[in-house]
Amino acid sequence: MLTLLKLELEKLFRARSFYLSFIVLIGFVLLMLWGFYTYAARKTGGQAVEQFKYTYESKQYFNGLTFALYSLLFSFTLLLPIFVSMSAGSQIAGEARAGTLRMICTRPISRASLVLSKFLVTALHAALLLTFFIGLNLIVGLIFVGWGNLELYPGPLNLVDAPGKIMRDDALMRFGYAALSGTWALLVIAALALLCSVIFESPVQATVMTIAAYLTLYIVGRVEFFEHLRPYFFTTDMDFWRDVFKPDIPWQSLWHYACVCGAYTIGLLLSTVIIFERKDIVT
Amino acid sequence: MWVKLILLLIFCVMILGAVHFAPAGKSEPESSSAGTVYSLRLLTWNIGYAELEDDTRAHDKDLPAVAEVIMRHDPDAVALQELTGNAQLKTLLGLLHGKYRGAVAQKGTGDRFEAVLVKDTGATFTPVTVGARYAMGASFRPRDGTRQLVLLSAHADAFNAARRRTYTEALIDWAQARAQSSEVFIAGDFNFELKAANETNLYTDDLKHDSESYSHILRYFRDLGRDAGDTAINDRRIDYIFGPSSLEHTGRVEVLRDAAVGRMDHWPLLVEVGF
Repeated sequence: MLTLLKLELEKLFRARSFYLSFIVLIGFVLLMLWGFYTYAARKTGGQAVEQFKYTYESKQYFNGLTFALYSLLFSFTLLLPIFVSMSAGSQIAGEARAGTLRMICTRPISRASLVLSKFLVTALHAALLLTFFIGLNLIVGLIFVGWGNLELYPGPLNLVDAPGKIMRDDALMRFGYAALSGTWALLVIAALALLCSVIFESPVQATVMTIAAYLTLYIVGRVEFFEHLRPYFFTTDMDFWRDVFKPDIPWQSLWHYACVCGAYTIGLLLSTVIIFERKDIVT
Repeated sequence: MWVKLILLLIFCVMILGAVHFAPAGKSEPESSSAGTVYSLRLLTWNIGYAELEDDTRAHDKDLPAVAEVIMRHDPDAVALQELTGNAQLKTLLGLLHGKYRGAVAQKGTGDRFEAVLVKDTGATFTPVTVGARYAMGASFRPRDGTRQLVLLSAHADAFNAARRRTYTEALIDWAQARAQSSEVFIAGDFNFELKAANETNLYTDDLKHDSESYSHILRYFRDLGRDAGDTAINDRRIDYIFGPSSLEHTGRVEVLRDAAVGRMDHWPLLVEVGF
């Protein structure tokens, strides 16, 4: 199993898509920095100040931690799931497309171990992506925007229902928690993509199917017609990761949704193992 | 085989964990403690109709039902919104058998009026100019010997979040100026859309304006009806009663969901507070 893991890690670090995902995230952070800078400049001077007498959007509000939070919340919904799907979707189907899957399966290793090692490597990729993204946002925020406390208001970001504040050091700790809770939530996508990777022969097909399923449930969950179905979508449960940014973390609810996401991940992984073991590999 | 068994075991642990940590259902709001005397009961209600109607203001035929709700719950003061004018107020006061006195605000740019009703016969009414709109204030004492209270009946713009924000700022300035000499309560339909989960955009100016307005109010006032739930159709909590932050005791806080008649799209919000 350890040798398998080592081999899979080598493959991951040699893949161009691995580095591409980090480059795209750097691009996104730069875009966010430009947007945040210009928005902050607009909202703390000129017409905005003339129009309204009171605002919480002061220079103290627009700090590096606020920048990192906005950047993370905006990207988590749409950007990170794409890279996780790409990474997981290419694991088995990629080998099948390259013609190496058959050869790997003739070696004296169980198919379950192979699936498990590929999933662990994908999980590592997801964790590295999220940790890198959070770290980069915090560093860029510190250098270009400056430090301060994390101020939260009802409405935007939908985190609190009354104004709240997280002190700087505590807020930094919360970003650390977010790296863990966010990775755990992304594992649901990784497990789904790995299942698709076993079912479909092409990595593109596996990735597209995963993203399609994710986006469909995400969008449908936001349409009021399907309000009663919303609690049954894994996309709803995945949202638990943001709770670490609430001034008082709702631990019970967080553990509940973490377990639900864990059940989705392990359930999908178990299905993947069962299907893969019965699969006739002809490529 | 062992991989599948371990995965199955973890799966079962996750299911058990999810059941174990499942949040408990919403508990009933705490009932008032025996030692607290609730000296003030306030009610706010937008008695207008939903957007689909030809005339979305209050309808004369609904006034007996409105009066019946007020008589049944017996609030010390009532903030009403979307009346058609003074004639409706007079009809309503008649249906309340002279138990309340009241006044309507001046007509602003819109076609509907806010009104305040109070039981206190010595109450005074003050029209409040808030930009291009008007609110109505009443100064009264709910019991002999109690401090003077001010209740403002307000109605913020339904269609423009920036205008709601300007309105709220002016309203809070007015209330703050009076907070030194009186306990000020603000009640009404503010139309704040703060449920970001319902928005299809991640971040909008409208959402931010409503966030700024609501947060500005909470700097000086307490949202007394926060736990009562939605006050209008389509799961919206847009009617509020704000009271002084120093208030220690709140008793019954309830949205009277069986009260709406005709095509009304709001339910009354009732709040009891003690000093």
